[in-house]
Amino acid sequence: MSNDARITKNEAENSSSAEQTRCGQCYRPNVDIIEKSDELLVVADVPGATGDSIDVDFEDGALTIRAAVAPREDNRNYLLREYGVGDFFRTFRVSEAIDAGKISAQCADGVLTLHLPKAEAAKPRKIAVQSA
Amino acid sequence: MNLIPWKNKQSDEPSRGGTLAALRTDVDRLFDTFFREPLGNLEWPFGDSGRWSPAVDVAETDQEVTVRAEVPGIEPGQLDVTLTGRQLVLSGEKKESFEKSGKDFRQVESRYGSFRRTIPLPETIDPDKVSAEFAHGVLTIRVPKSPVAPPKQIQVQVGGNRDS
Repeated sequence: MSNDARITKNEAENSSSAEQTRCGQCYRPNVDIIEKSDELLVVADVPGATGDSIDVDFEDGALTIRAAVAPREDNRNYLLREYGVGDFFRTFRVSEAIDAGKISAQCADGVLTLHLPKAEAAKPRKIAVQSA
Repeated sequence: MNLIPWKNKQSDEPSRGGTLAALRTDVDRLFDTFFREPLGNLEWPFGDSGRWSPAVDVAETDQEVTVRAEVPGIEPGQLDVTLTGRQLVLSGEKKESFEKSGKDFRQVESRYGSFRRTIPLPETIDPDKVSAEFAHGVLTIRVPKSPVAPPKQIQVQVGGNRDS
């Protein structure tokens, strides 16, 4: 019975929009999304990726996370193989309620955190009425 | 997937994919556990007990055995690696990335909680030279193999007198 059957990662849904320059499987990272009053937080598990190897792009209303992970060494005899090693890829459509210019990202211990501040236009605002 | 602030805040349940997908994972796990340890593991395999365990790779070369586990989001101080005889035990706890406050809405795909995994190692390891390293959410444990004594040639003594 092949150990590969137990691989728990999900394959990336749609990596076809970007031509891959490396062979191998692409995985969809697990994300937690938390909505706060002033921002959305996206927390993605990208084990094995370093801060330098992660690309976060925003283009045409789509936020793309691409994280390169060093491939497995092949010169080994694997006794147990429970996870797939490959790049991470996931795309999100971002609505206009997000201020795309202020999206920020940080990575620590294999976890990528994206801060997506809500747009000023989406926040409730009071308009002062001038009397003539 | 859309990243649009939610308007409907009625449901606070984290979504974890469809029910059918969850059932399929459970059944897969049940079969897999059965074939690996037919009577060893009698835990209730269904449902989400809230626990998770990291995925582990075990590889060997002529010189060493490498155990690698994906543990994103765990602080190195909360990881425990113990080697007892030939059993390597990994344990630790993954805390939720953000404190839950009543107003926030969240979709949760990753798993949190404490875990413990026991990994049997081959017999030829050298338990005194184990090293563990944690980088970018991946724990790597290297266990060198002890040098195997070269095979010894045994002379066969010819007993008795074969010529009559």
